[in-house]
Amino acid sequence: MVDIDELKERFLNLEFDRKDFTLDPERMITVARQCGETRPEYVDAEHPEFQALPSVIASLASGRHLPIEFPKLGGIPMDGGKAVERHAPVRPRVTLNGRTHLHEIYAKQGRSGRMLFMVSRMEIYDAAGTHLATSDSRMVVRERPTEQDDREQQA
Amino acid sequence: MSEIRTISDVEFGEELPIYTPDTSLDAVRPFAIAIGWSTGRGGRFDDHDAARREGLPGALVPGIMAMGFLTTVIHRWSPAARVDKIDTVFRAPLIADEIAHVGAVVTDIDEDTGEAELDLTVKNDRDETRVFGTARISLPLS
Repeated sequence: MVDIDELKERFLNLEFDRKDFTLDPERMITVARQCGETRPEYVDAEHPEFQALPSVIASLASGRHLPIEFPKLGGIPMDGGKAVERHAPVRPRVTLNGRTHLHEIYAKQGRSGRMLFMVSRMEIYDAAGTHLATSDSRMVVRERPTEQDDREQQA
Repeated sequence: MSEIRTISDVEFGEELPIYTPDTSLDAVRPFAIAIGWSTGRGGRFDDHDAARREGLPGALVPGIMAMGFLTTVIHRWSPAARVDKIDTVFRAPLIADEIAHVGAVVTDIDEDTGEAELDLTVKNDRDETRVFGTARISLPLS
């Protein structure tokens, strides 16, 4: 089994990706409307407080999901959830910079084996360096037992 | 129920009115296109047959669309509430064209800061929780 403490020591809180984004107001409105949103600050691009819904912020994807040296864990990663914390309005047509690091790594034991959770955190800044929002993406992988694990279980 | 305008209008344990969003493929497809998930994902958000060929139970409602439904249920309840943080767990697939019931309950109130916490759920018509989470909101003090 993968050593969680070793993974934490090697990978937590180290930035592994930077990526620029520019939000398109029409796409922001489409996202808001399809969610049933009616508030003008989310569906009217001319509104002085027009800004992105949390779902728009959660859709910003880093160039990599995990650090390049992160070990392969065997299973296919699943999207376990997302979180968005807003610190200031996120506006369209401005350059946003997303800086991503691994924020949490933990495991849960299930009946069919161990599940590994990796929380990748993107901190989103504007060109002036203002921290606008934080977006967490929770990846879940069902760990595939190694041959050594199998031998230990049989012993 | 009167409109929720300030933190003092919020009651502990209050259940927000259930919101039943449009989960049809016609609603999901434009959402997937707008967030750039319409290509390279094997039709999982816009075609039930293609999704089933991938081993899924049907075309999916993206998890972050469910997050949007949960934001909407708060905004509909209180036009003055601002969602400062929302955390969602995608427990099981939410299938397009299936009815979803989006709800929330107030679990904590801080009248000094104007903040409140809510528990959030998206359930299907069989009362199975598909997405759950929490939100921290803020409202004017007066």
